[in-house]
Amino acid sequence: MKHLSEEDLILIYYGEPGAPYGAHAHLADCGQCKAAADALAQTLDLCNEWSVPEPDAGFERRVWKYRPSRWSMPRVWIGLAAAAAVLIAVFLLGRQSSAPQTASEFNSAMAGLSNQARERILEISLADHLNRAEMLLTEISNAGDPGLLNFTVERGRAQDLVEEGRLMRQTLARQGDNPTLTFLDEVERFLIEVANSSDSVSPNVLRELQQRIGSGSLLFKVKIIESNLRTRGQKL
Amino acid sequence: MDHIPITQGDEIAIEKARRGDPEAFRVLVERHARPVFRLAFRMTGNEVDAEDMVQETFLKAWKQIARFDGRAAFGTWLHRICANCSLDHIRARKRKQDLQTGNDPLPQLATGAPSPERLALSSQVTAILGPALDELSEMERAAFVLRHYEGLSIEQISASLGVQPGAAKHSVFRAVQKLRRALEPVMSMR
Repeated sequence: MKHLSEEDLILIYYGEPGAPYGAHAHLADCGQCKAAADALAQTLDLCNEWSVPEPDAGFERRVWKYRPSRWSMPRVWIGLAAAAAVLIAVFLLGRQSSAPQTASEFNSAMAGLSNQARERILEISLADHLNRAEMLLTEISNAGDPGLLNFTVERGRAQDLVEEGRLMRQTLARQGDNPTLTFLDEVERFLIEVANSSDSVSPNVLRELQQRIGSGSLLFKVKIIESNLRTRGQKL
Repeated sequence: MDHIPITQGDEIAIEKARRGDPEAFRVLVERHARPVFRLAFRMTGNEVDAEDMVQETFLKAWKQIARFDGRAAFGTWLHRICANCSLDHIRARKRKQDLQTGNDPLPQLATGAPSPERLALSSQVTAILGPALDELSEMERAAFVLRHYEGLSIEQISASLGVQPGAAKHSVFRAVQKLRRALEPVMSMR
């Protein structure tokens, strides 16, 4: 058999098909080809030394944060986006006293909406908020025990949810919806705990968080109340 | 420390993202942004471009998520998108560089090397490999990065980049040959 070409050796190195029949047997017997294969392997192994810089801790949040200016929504979501815009306006109502300029924008945006429509929007947006909280709680509940857990992303999501929930609670307080308000307070206490945890949590801290979710049936309640709000909102 | 994602399949988040839930898509961004960044960095050779490619990749994924059929893992699908975005990017960059006087991007040192010897070797390899990769054609670079660093087969590279398997194979061959020549000085010192 002829000696193996460099191309044959590259295919063999990467475990690709296409090397000539008997190439592996030849490689085992032929000192010259074996030396060539070793030299190739050394060079290609050396390429593994080219490591990649690790992005900083805020990388994922940055990718997400800067999306609105560049990411446009798929057409099917435009209806949802319109609803979301109205939702934002609803929550800005809760800030009317501190942000009159925004409130005036709100007033013109909401001028044509009936009380029923406003209520519907509020129910659905609360359900969406709880859905996002549910996702976070579910992920924390299902997290394994891999030593120190990087919690940066989860902390960021919890912070966002706390801010979002605060606006909703203000609106609910104005409406006097105490049962939902009390429940949102309970969710917020847990979210604040997550938001205030360190970037790396130990298995013990993780277990404590999981126990908190489990002991008060928090996740279960989030699911039930989310579902009730959504159903109510859709019926309005 | 490596990011350890909270363990849960992507399926729930994908399904919710398909139904238009941006928060679910955010979960996918958080889980996959770093591996996508690593591929983008190897394709583009610098952090700024790599981060742009991550944005670009998720933008396309966001727009096309309804077309994700689940036959490949979501991560694989994202990597395919990233490889193509990066390929387009380095093509455009090369065209631009051809028009200007050659200002090659400075090779970047990776952080976190465990020992001074390893750091020295890594720096040496990076200093040579970065510019050497810049000398490859766009297709050679893409094929080599996908084969060597991402572990894709020639067949998968050909499907990802939309070229014939023979073209993908020869791109890998040419890339390896050129890189061997570039790395000869380091090899001779070992």
